[in-house]
Amino acid sequence: MAQLLQHLINGLAAGTIYALVALGYTMVYGVLKLINFAHGDVMMVGVYMGYATAFALGRDMRSSLLGVAVVFAVAMLGCALLGFLIERFAYRPLREKPRLTALITAIGISFALSYGFQLDLGFLPGAAPRAFPEVIEPVEWLVIGDRDVVVWNWQVISFGIAVALMVGLQYLVFRTRFGRAMRAVSWDHRVAALMGIPTDRVIALTFMLSSALAAGAGLLYAIKDTSVSPLMGLYVGLKAFVAAVIGGIGHVPGAVVGGLVLGLVEEFVVGYAASTWRDAVAFGFLILVLLVKPGGLFGRVAAEKV
Amino acid sequence: MSAAAEETKAEAGAPLLQADGVSIQFGGLKALTDFNLSVRQGDLQGLIGPNGAGKSTAFNVLTGVYQPTQGEVRVGGQRVNGWLPHQINHLGLARTFQNIRLFRALTALDNVKVACRAQGALHPEGVGLGAKMKGAFINYRDWWRALLLTPRFQQEERELTQQAEHLLEVMGLSHRRDEEARNLPYGEQRRLEIARALGTQPKVLLLDEPAAGMNTREKADLMVLIRKLRDDFKLGVLVIEHDMKLVMGICECITVLDHGETIARGAPAQVRSDRKVIEAYLGDSYLESHGGAA
Amino acid sequence: METPAIPAPEARSAVPASLRGLLPVLLALPVLALFQGLMSDAPFASYLLSVVGVNIILAVSLNIVNGMTGQFSIGHAGFMAVGAYISGVLSLNFKDVALSFLPVAVSDQVFFVVSLLVGGLAAALCGFLVGLPSLRLRGDYLAIVTLGFGEIIRVVVQNTDAFGRALGLSGIPQTSSPAMVYFFVFLTVLVARRITGSSHGRSLWAIREDEVAAEAMGVDTTGYKVRAFVISSFFAGIAGALFAHFVPIINPGSFTFVKSMEIVVMVVLGGLGSTTGAIVAATFLTLLPEGMRSLFTLLGAEGSLAQKVDQIRMPVYGLLLVALMLARPQGLFGTKEIWDVLPRWIPRKRRGLA
Repeated sequence: MAQLLQHLINGLAAGTIYALVALGYTMVYGVLKLINFAHGDVMMVGVYMGYATAFALGRDMRSSLLGVAVVFAVAMLGCALLGFLIERFAYRPLREKPRLTALITAIGISFALSYGFQLDLGFLPGAAPRAFPEVIEPVEWLVIGDRDVVVWNWQVISFGIAVALMVGLQYLVFRTRFGRAMRAVSWDHRVAALMGIPTDRVIALTFMLSSALAAGAGLLYAIKDTSVSPLMGLYVGLKAFVAAVIGGIGHVPGAVVGGLVLGLVEEFVVGYAASTWRDAVAFGFLILVLLVKPGGLFGRVAAEKV
Repeated sequence: MSAAAEETKAEAGAPLLQADGVSIQFGGLKALTDFNLSVRQGDLQGLIGPNGAGKSTAFNVLTGVYQPTQGEVRVGGQRVNGWLPHQINHLGLARTFQNIRLFRALTALDNVKVACRAQGALHPEGVGLGAKMKGAFINYRDWWRALLLTPRFQQEERELTQQAEHLLEVMGLSHRRDEEARNLPYGEQRRLEIARALGTQPKVLLLDEPAAGMNTREKADLMVLIRKLRDDFKLGVLVIEHDMKLVMGICECITVLDHGETIARGAPAQVRSDRKVIEAYLGDSYLESHGGAA
Repeated sequence: METPAIPAPEARSAVPASLRGLLPVLLALPVLALFQGLMSDAPFASYLLSVVGVNIILAVSLNIVNGMTGQFSIGHAGFMAVGAYISGVLSLNFKDVALSFLPVAVSDQVFFVVSLLVGGLAAALCGFLVGLPSLRLRGDYLAIVTLGFGEIIRVVVQNTDAFGRALGLSGIPQTSSPAMVYFFVFLTVLVARRITGSSHGRSLWAIREDEVAAEAMGVDTTGYKVRAFVISSFFAGIAGALFAHFVPIINPGSFTFVKSMEIVVMVVLGGLGSTTGAIVAATFLTLLPEGMRSLFTLLGAEGSLAQKVDQIRMPVYGLLLVALMLARPQGLFGTKEIWDVLPRWIPRKRRGLA
């Protein structure tokens, strides 16, 4: 029972992070109908930015509240810029081209980033995983019984940050002018443009927003894993994407639910079956969901207009 | 009407295409309500209605793109609810599309050959396991013939080419044989779509706004052609058309849709004088331009 | 509908119809034998050519799904892995068995071909299973399913003792030869070309162009997509099986997402839908890093520089994809074949398909 509870907690903690990254996929898919394959790698770049910042700040500074804030701010802003650049120079020229073209581009960027970061070029950290500094010093936040169930402070903090970001996003999408514009673009970006919505700006902002969220999520992930590597983007990204699809891509609350579900499923498989099967779980689950409900849990398959 | 048409009309028996109380709903929207229709060999029927009346939806339900929420569709007497479009096509129902959907990068000839190939002989009728097994067997035999380039395969390929060339000729497209479909002028693309549909050897042909975007003269030619096709290929034809004059001119029976409901049906004269039709569809502008046709 | 009487077959071929099917194979065999003779004393060239050949098979077979049918599979390495492991395990188990009525070398080759075919069939079965979801999924979703499949294969291999887990399989008899590899290259290309020239190929192209219209014209789109997957993965399996029989060791690392992407890059560079494009791109992208590596070694640069070639390859592939999509999304040849784009003075084949 205690074990179950522990897995539940770990699963939820991992799930909120997947959910945050999944939100990025879902938002971009919403406005552009593009699977932004490079999303996970943007996240990875963000984590490296945070990593560099944490080192620049030094040991004392980085574990203070201000230090943590700086680390997150730098990573998130840096990623927002990266997201903007990618959208502006890689995706925007292809917007009216067949969807496959943009998908291939996204795959290309993902590749360039995840393998580019493995190069031994001096200013880059190289292929080997690095230990991520303890920006949040681990403290047992809650202990039940004889250490039957342990809740760490970083789990609570990351859960808190993730929930705050999600609530903020929900507010942004459904309560603000920008959110309305975003939803209009998602409905039909050509019509939205005709209605006077600055489509390009909305799309660019969506990319920046999703990239910033990814950076935040990536840092939380790195803190959880206490490591960072150039390939983390590929794997975390793919799983988050799976989460987005499970929830029904393009559906904001769906991405959150998908993330949580995936986090829990993975945790339970690792906990009760075998950890070596972990990477297969997400995809097996994805294929299962798609076969049973092709639109994901909340999404609907839009009938193609004939 | 030509003698041939009279003849085919006379021997026309059971309906080839039949819709009984077909309704379809998208979420809360009733796109089509209690739609009834029956097309026999030799028929030339029209389906009209204002924009968004559900004409194309009706086509999509008949051809299996959408599934009806209620009612049933029969093709050649076979209930086809739940069937896939290609299976329904094999029963002898072919269509064109309102927004031309040719295989753009393929040549005109290949466009027609795709359709010629995909027809009946390869796909034995019936849906039982036996028919499925037989279909699978024929299919695999056929793949091997293609891969081994057997004499029989080469012969079939030649026959297909000739069939397709014949259809191109009928539609006046022989000179475009090796041109990519996307490079054809608009009117010819529409005609190529008809040629392609004929390639599937249909018993009933559904034409979705075949004259859209054509000038008056082209339209007149097309109408003559449609009649000729009906007679030569012994078809039943159902046409969706926007141009009232045109539909009134060639169709013997017209069904009028508005907001998914059938508001009138009958001979052109009858429909033209129907109050409901004039109000709902023709509207004031038509009355004005035709000096109060009613 | 009545068609006019069929006139005599086109006179342009001097070869009797009954022979045309087999002729290319008959012509290829002596060429391959000669080729084998030339290669027997050049181990490095043999190896390199074999790698090129395997990549050609992979690219040409992927092109059947991604190019001709317009689907987007990014898990081709998974099928390759299935072929490699299944045939590898077979060969390992039958290593010491020989058919007594044949010379040992011939008997080995017989076992080799059988294991190749079994590997190919196993991959084809997987292709069937992956192709089935295409019943309900389109486009990008299908891409993810294929990717997921590739990853699942990798994890399964890593968790199975018979496949050597993460360590991989070693000691598989090195029965492959460039002649054998190129026989299958030739077979793959022949099959791809014959599909293109048949009604099956036209149906695949129709699906690529407009799935809804194809379905309305009586094309069993799901059936064709699944068949495209099956054929494509069969040859990927063959490629993997060949690969397993000329490299010293196979491990899960040889068949990752990276390998899948490499093949995608080849197909996209060559032009989605162009068989000859896939051949050219596969050859080029295989020889380029090798050439650079040899060049650096030749120039006496330290080993590190030669190693860098390997490192740089992947990000370069990525950038290449982006650059291609921005500048020339149709790749080298688009959907055309090489003889359609050669200069005028070279005699061309009449184009059947676009």
